[in-house]
Amino acid sequence: MIVSKENSPLVKSRKTKSELKEKKDSGGEEEKEERTWAERSEEIPIDSATDDEAWPIFSISRRPGRLQRLHLLAAWIELQEAFLSALVSDNGDVMEEEIRGPVETGGSTSTFNTARISRKGSFKIDRTLRELGSGLSDILGDEGVANTSDGDGSSNDGGGDLSEGDQSESEEFAQGVEESDSSEDEVAPRNTIGDVPFEWYKDEEHIGYNISGKKLKKKERQDKLDSFLASADDPNGWRKVMDEPNDEVVQLTKQEVKMICKVLKGKAPHKDFDPYSPYIDWFKMDAKHPLSSAPEPKRRFVLSKWENEKVVKLVRAIRKGLIKFDKPKEKPGVYDLWGDDSSSMEKAGHGLAYIPAPKPKLPGHEESYNPSLEYIPTQEEINSYQLLFEEDRPKFIPKQVVIHLHLLRFTSLRSVPAYENYVKESFERCLDLYMCPRARKKRINIDPESLKPKLPSRKDLKPYPTICYLEYRGHTGPVMSISTESSGQWIASGSSDGTVRIWEVETGRCLRVWELGEPVHHVSWNPSSDIPILAVSAGLDVFLLNAGLEDEERKMINKLLHIETSMAPDDTGKISSIVSWDQDDNHGGIRLKHFKTVSSVEWHRKGDYFSTVMPSDILSLCIMWLSEEPKSKGRFSFLSPISTLFCIHILSLTCLLRESRAILIHQLSKKSTQRIPFKLHGLPVSSAFHPTRSVFFVSTKKNVRVYDLLKQKLIKKLETGAREVSSIAIHPGGDNVIVGTREGKMCWFDMDLSSQPYRILKCHSKDINSVAFHRSYPLFASCSDDSTAYIFHGMVYSDLNQNPLVVPLEILRGHASSNGRGVMDCKFHPRQPWLFTAGADSVIKLFCH
Amino acid sequence: MDTDEDVEGNTRLVYVRFVTKLDDPFKVPDTQLGLPSNITRLGLSTVVNNVLQSGRDNWRHEPFDFLINGELVRMSLEEFLLAKGISAEKVLEIEYIKAVAPRKQEEPSFHDDWVSAVDGSNPGFILTGCYDALGRVWKAAGLCTHILEGHSDAVTSVSIVKPKDVENDTGALVATASKDKTLRLWMFDAEESRGDPSKIRAYKTLRGHNASVQSIAAQPSGDMVCSGSWDCRINLWQTKESDAGASVSIKKRKKGSHDGESQSEGEAVSTLVGHTQCVSSVVWPQHGTIYSASWDHSIRRWDAETGNESLNTFCGKVINCIDIGGESSVLIAAGGSDPILRIWDPRKPGTSAPIFQLSSHASWISACKWHKESWFHLLSASYDGKIMLWDLRTAWPLAVIDSHKDKVLCADWWKGDSVISGGVDSKLCISSEISVK
Repeated sequence: MIVSKENSPLVKSRKTKSELKEKKDSGGEEEKEERTWAERSEEIPIDSATDDEAWPIFSISRRPGRLQRLHLLAAWIELQEAFLSALVSDNGDVMEEEIRGPVETGGSTSTFNTARISRKGSFKIDRTLRELGSGLSDILGDEGVANTSDGDGSSNDGGGDLSEGDQSESEEFAQGVEESDSSEDEVAPRNTIGDVPFEWYKDEEHIGYNISGKKLKKKERQDKLDSFLASADDPNGWRKVMDEPNDEVVQLTKQEVKMICKVLKGKAPHKDFDPYSPYIDWFKMDAKHPLSSAPEPKRRFVLSKWENEKVVKLVRAIRKGLIKFDKPKEKPGVYDLWGDDSSSMEKAGHGLAYIPAPKPKLPGHEESYNPSLEYIPTQEEINSYQLLFEEDRPKFIPKQVVIHLHLLRFTSLRSVPAYENYVKESFERCLDLYMCPRARKKRINIDPESLKPKLPSRKDLKPYPTICYLEYRGHTGPVMSISTESSGQWIASGSSDGTVRIWEVETGRCLRVWELGEPVHHVSWNPSSDIPILAVSAGLDVFLLNAGLEDEERKMINKLLHIETSMAPDDTGKISSIVSWDQDDNHGGIRLKHFKTVSSVEWHRKGDYFSTVMPSDILSLCIMWLSEEPKSKGRFSFLSPISTLFCIHILSLTCLLRESRAILIHQLSKKSTQRIPFKLHGLPVSSAFHPTRSVFFVSTKKNVRVYDLLKQKLIKKLETGAREVSSIAIHPGGDNVIVGTREGKMCWFDMDLSSQPYRILKCHSKDINSVAFHRSYPLFASCSDDSTAYIFHGMVYSDLNQNPLVVPLEILRGHASSNGRGVMDCKFHPRQPWLFTAGADSVIKLFCH
Repeated sequence: MDTDEDVEGNTRLVYVRFVTKLDDPFKVPDTQLGLPSNITRLGLSTVVNNVLQSGRDNWRHEPFDFLINGELVRMSLEEFLLAKGISAEKVLEIEYIKAVAPRKQEEPSFHDDWVSAVDGSNPGFILTGCYDALGRVWKAAGLCTHILEGHSDAVTSVSIVKPKDVENDTGALVATASKDKTLRLWMFDAEESRGDPSKIRAYKTLRGHNASVQSIAAQPSGDMVCSGSWDCRINLWQTKESDAGASVSIKKRKKGSHDGESQSEGEAVSTLVGHTQCVSSVVWPQHGTIYSASWDHSIRRWDAETGNESLNTFCGKVINCIDIGGESSVLIAAGGSDPILRIWDPRKPGTSAPIFQLSSHASWISACKWHKESWFHLLSASYDGKIMLWDLRTAWPLAVIDSHKDKVLCADWWKGDSVISGGVDSKLCISSEISVK
């Protein structure tokens, strides 16, 4: 269709030719027509770009295939020029040559140029050109044949059927052209040699090969002279044109020549040519008929500028979030009638939390009208249900039907009677749904293990005492106190049976016994290894005993423990009345007579000074007396008014003096005694020297006071928060203090941190009697009246940023309780991770690692 | 016999062949026997005795111990084979040895106080040290020949330096250490024996320690003794009387003339310093090597000539006793403040882990001694009042001597077949007729 349209001028020209043939008679009309054509063409505004006369017709054409047409036209014009030149020159051969070339070049160029636009189009144009050429040749040939038939008579086509043949041919041609879309082979070119350049066969006798491979002979060609002569003779010679592919000479008809002339003049080729034919969008029409059924690829799509901008705008808006897409609505699924209501709880997230009512149990096999046999209770079971509590009884007992005294299952659902409890149960269920208040229980799900502080494993903190292998037996009363010798070879112990013993640690042999006659409260071994002297507090006295371990230095110690009589009392005034230094020949030592019971004796690290504590101050005695008097059973009742007065009198007196008397510091080398120059706020319980500095710790019942002995002032007051402090121990570093209390608590003070306990360890159920630090290992221990001793790991770091690490390690058991007292004292071995414990059961135990 | 067993019970039969290194009267014919697999040591011993008895009329039953692949059988044969992964298909070769156990308990020899030290290295006599500051020489059980008098405090360790100096004809030389910080050397003629014990005074007093001397050991040649003390030092002393030593001693004696003893004094030849706590035990097994154990948890080996420390094994526990012996006389056995007897092999490089840990005691181990001839046998004494005989080829004690009523403080082998021990019950016990190969 396209092609036919495209070839329409040609077709029209053919038609015009036939019309012309029909209207041969009326030539004047034709002339008119031509003129009108020319006039019309002149009326058409001329494209400014073309100065050629021939252009305007085509340049104004609004067809999309303008370019193609231009090329076609160019080829056509070239053809015309060649033709004209041939006409001018009247040289047939030249004319042949000239015509041949432009046709080819025109074809090739058009092919080349149209290739960019559309392959299909180019193909068609190409073919069009060829047809044009062939059409031309047809035209020429027809006339030529006509001419030759006229002239030579050698031509096979008769001139008589020219018009018919021409007409039929043209019709056929037009038909063929119209049908050329579907099949181009129908219009078979007469030339069968194929589309090969003719110069290949220029010097050959044949012009090509036919379809069966036979050579096609060239027609006998006149040489140029003959042909010139022939053309000179022939009046129609100038009309003859060589049809190269078909190897024949055609003669142009008069109309054809006229048409060529018209075209050359730039006029419409014939009068039927319509320069204002309606615009046909060839490309769109073309798109409707693709060659392949494959969809047009997207890459071919070229956006328009405005569309593109619009798309970009939309994309930006989407990116910015200005355009929001609606989420696809979820379709309500199938409602799970029997599922739990956990999801419905989520739905009612806002407002009051909705607590779904518990679902009733689904009917099971028992409720079936035809339950399996195992679900049917026997009569015995039914009877036994009666014995159960109401709540424990099964809610539903499958009904059975009695047939001939046999219990049988129902044969069909139809025969099952109505469930008599249905209304009741439904009602209860409704009540439950409406009226039962439901509250959500908040259950904190915390792993109790995770709350425990992360402590290092006990295994990593070895060694520490664990097992008791050795016992030191010999005392007959509760062992009140033990003390280790600095090398760790010996320990001394004092018992309330009035004896002090020295034991060999390794074997448990009792080396020496002193009978002091009074219950021993405290023993303390001189920390200096050179001076094996024991300080023992028994009753009102403090004894300094020669342990008798030094052989060579015996004299030195004897000298140390010798008191010249001249030094004896009364020369130190008031203090001498408190303490008197006496030589004690019975025990080979010195006896310091105090005026009150001495509860503890502590040595200074250098072994020259020692302190004694007399907790039962006169004041406290009086207070005790006063407080106990109502309870006393008549012993003092007769004294009571007098004694009360007496006590109050003493109380008022001693209030002035009491600060100095409770704690005394003695010097061994000078045999002198001095008071501490501080005021004590409360009853002193125990005292301790700082392991490295001249600092003195005094613990009263509630607090621990730290004094600087050189500057004579209070450094710190440690507040235990306890009711009654029983013992105190100083870390060998000197900055940490542990305090045991009568409530079973142990307070660890880091003196650098604060005056409050860094840690309070509540482990004992009864009074703590003693606490102790190990001299070199990071261990400390406490012992209590509950007959146990606790071992702790107490690591103090030299890095001040790091707090001490306290890890409980072991509970040491083994002592028996006696009169409510358990372990009275505990001391670490000075060099081994061993603990000595003194029990109220009069045994000393050594716990080894 | 086989068929009987088979018919009687449905226990499996194990085919065994008994071999022995014992001499003729204890040799069984080399035949295979099928024994029920659940047979125990007693059963095996009965079988062997029955076989031995078959030839002789007056056979006295002898307890045997049985070795399979060098390990002592301490359970039923079946369990043993299962435990050790030994196939019961083959004919099992069982070696039997005389059971190491005391067969006779001699009369205890009573002391006045705790027996703290005992030495049985001389088969002719036993030397004991006592907490009453006396040393005693015993000819046999209950027969005290000499009393060594002179220490002022408990004797902690005794050592027989030289049995008898034949050249000088001076008699036996012994050394004692005491808590009075001295060592004393004594010389007496062990041969002479009178009715009542003769009192002997030391011919030489060795002073130099600052604390009680804990242990003493003599060089094998007898020229020197070494001592470990609570002052953390090991002192080496000459035993011979040298002129220089004499002159020094005379001066000293003049200075401290109040003693009035007719004895010379000696000073330490050299001191080995390194331990940080009490040196609780020293042994001098070879000429130039001293081993010492200390409360600082270490066992050290010293070169006696140079005084250098050549080995330092860390134990982790306080060590109270140490002995060298066993295989090629290099194994270190030590016991201390726990019930485990540990044995180290110092030839194993790069490890301080003990190769054996024998733990059947219930309390501290106070003494351990290797048998002089055997590679495998050693004894240990403990505060739980028991003495145990060990064979390295099994983890169980061979025999437990339970003659003491309280802590055993010291123990030693005597004459190769007896165990002598002293303890807190003031007795010297002799368990004899122990057949260690």
